Amino acid sequence: MKKVCWVGVLWCLSALAAGCNREKPAPAAPAGEGASAPAATKPAPAKLKLALDWVPEPEFGGFYAARETGAFARNGLEVEVLGGGAGAPVPQMVATGKADFGTTSADELLVARSRGADLVPLFAVYQVSPMAIMAHASRGITSLEQLLSAGGTLAIEPGAPYTVFLKKKYGFDKMKVVPYSGGVARFVADKEYAQQCFLTSEPLVAKKQGAEPVVFKVADEGFNPYVTLVVTRRELLQKSPEQVRGFVQAVREGWRSYLENPKPANDIMAKLNTAMAPETFAEVAEVQKQLIETDETRAKGLGVLSRERFETLGQQLVDLGLLEKAPVVDEFLLPEFTGVGSAPAK
Amino acid sequence: MRSVLLRSVLPPVAALFALLALWEGGVRLLEVQAFLLPPPSAVFASGVKDASQLAASAWVTAEAALAGFGLSALAGALVAVLLSSSRLLERALYPYTLFLQTVPIVAIAPLLVLWFGPGQRAVAASAFIVSVFPVIANTLSGIRSVDPALRDLFRLYGARRLATLLKLELPSALPHIFTGLRIASGLAVIGAIVGEFVAGFSEGTAGLGILVLASYRQLRTDLMFAAVLCAAGLGIVLFGAVSLAGARLLRRWHPSAS
Repeated sequence: MKKVCWVGVLWCLSALAAGCNREKPAPAAPAGEGASAPAATKPAPAKLKLALDWVPEPEFGGFYAARETGAFARNGLEVEVLGGGAGAPVPQMVATGKADFGTTSADELLVARSRGADLVPLFAVYQVSPMAIMAHASRGITSLEQLLSAGGTLAIEPGAPYTVFLKKKYGFDKMKVVPYSGGVARFVADKEYAQQCFLTSEPLVAKKQGAEPVVFKVADEGFNPYVTLVVTRRELLQKSPEQVRGFVQAVREGWRSYLENPKPANDIMAKLNTAMAPETFAEVAEVQKQLIETDETRAKGLGVLSRERFETLGQQLVDLGLLEKAPVVDEFLLPEFTGVGSAPAK
Repeated sequence: MRSVLLRSVLPPVAALFALLALWEGGVRLLEVQAFLLPPPSAVFASGVKDASQLAASAWVTAEAALAGFGLSALAGALVAVLLSSSRLLERALYPYTLFLQTVPIVAIAPLLVLWFGPGQRAVAASAFIVSVFPVIANTLSGIRSVDPALRDLFRLYGARRLATLLKLELPSALPHIFTGLRIASGLAVIGAIVGEFVAGFSEGTAGLGILVLASYRQLRTDLMFAAVLCAAGLGIVLFGAVSLAGARLLRRWHPSAS
């Protein structure tokens, strides 16, 4: 009993400290007034934090490019990019103020909102979900349905929405399902091993190590949430809307710049993430373009969000038992981020 | 008799209630968001609602923890006996048994999956690695602290090595052995949970470690807390069982079992 008490006390105290520690919002840079203020008194840029939900990889290239090309500075912002990893609690970090912006996926956003985190989506990097399952080509498997009834091991994140989706659609009874914690080491070593992956990442790394993967997109199965979706908390949007808009504008510029020339940002990320070779960075940057630029983004601007897709996703999550009721999209999706009434910012 | 029971049971129970009240009040007063720190009422509600899932998961984890613990007890005692047979051997090999204590299991667990394949075998191996050292250390200490006068007595009577071991050393070392086993019991559960994070099956028979991962992923922090408390409870049950066995065996002739 005593053992539990001490652990409980320490946990409570630290969690209470974390919960109470809502950081004060960054001092609002008078961006509006700055335009008309005399050049001599330039307001200090607002310091903001962006939390990434994975290690620095090309999926975040546009953010680093926004910093390097000065897009953030031009919008009166100074952004610190916090790299993440497996299990990075981005929704929690943004909800409690540990970060001002974060990347997560649309399904995680809806789940977090249902648990009381008032987060708001701003910009979707991946318009098509890159979530996929990869297996060895030597097994001669031609579809995800066939893979999931062929036996062997499947490494997939327990409890994730796409896991629940695939389980519901095809069932996992024939497979040995284990948690996925990153990398391709086990995949390369075992021919009967299949794992979740990002279309743009793990298969390329596996090929470099001599494996022949075949990749099945989860989006093709009907589950296609926005991925690497930039979110913030409503509190920040209400207190400093110009900062949020400036951030989104800068991110859009950064991604435009990254799509045209990924090398400078890739060089920076390669130093931060030494597990991926610089050539792989370039390859991935090329492969992911088709997921980022679609007809919709060409019409309405990069990162645009769509009301219908959020509604579809909400309903899917309810059917999967992850949400109790479908969220009201208008409560969190602001029209200005759906490309309505704004000229596409190239 | 009743007053003795009250005196030993009442204070920890009262402390528990005070802690729970503080926790519940604190969370409500400070309006801490539920997915950061759920109040005890939410954890309790989750425990009730998901009781069957928690019980099934606890059973799966218990199986692996018990397997690892059993292996620790056996292998640990054997290694200690081996080391006790020669001072040279002990000096040569003891530092490497220490390595089993200090190796970070979180880093080793993926290797275990590579060698044993995912599932209960790797999880039990993880539980074994984490819990074996206390058994070795305490058993060795117990054997070494046999009364020298008794050793001389055995030698005077011309007792063979095996007889000395079985009739003198192991019975003398029993209290130490049980100390080691008590420590190992809690560690075995920890090892099993950590092993599950990396190697546990997450479908069908999913253990508490997987439940923690899945509930964390879905921001069901109340269920996560319930699972963690279950794991702690599992450790306590195993600890209690070992303590009880020790008390029974030593009851008649050793002061440590009163």
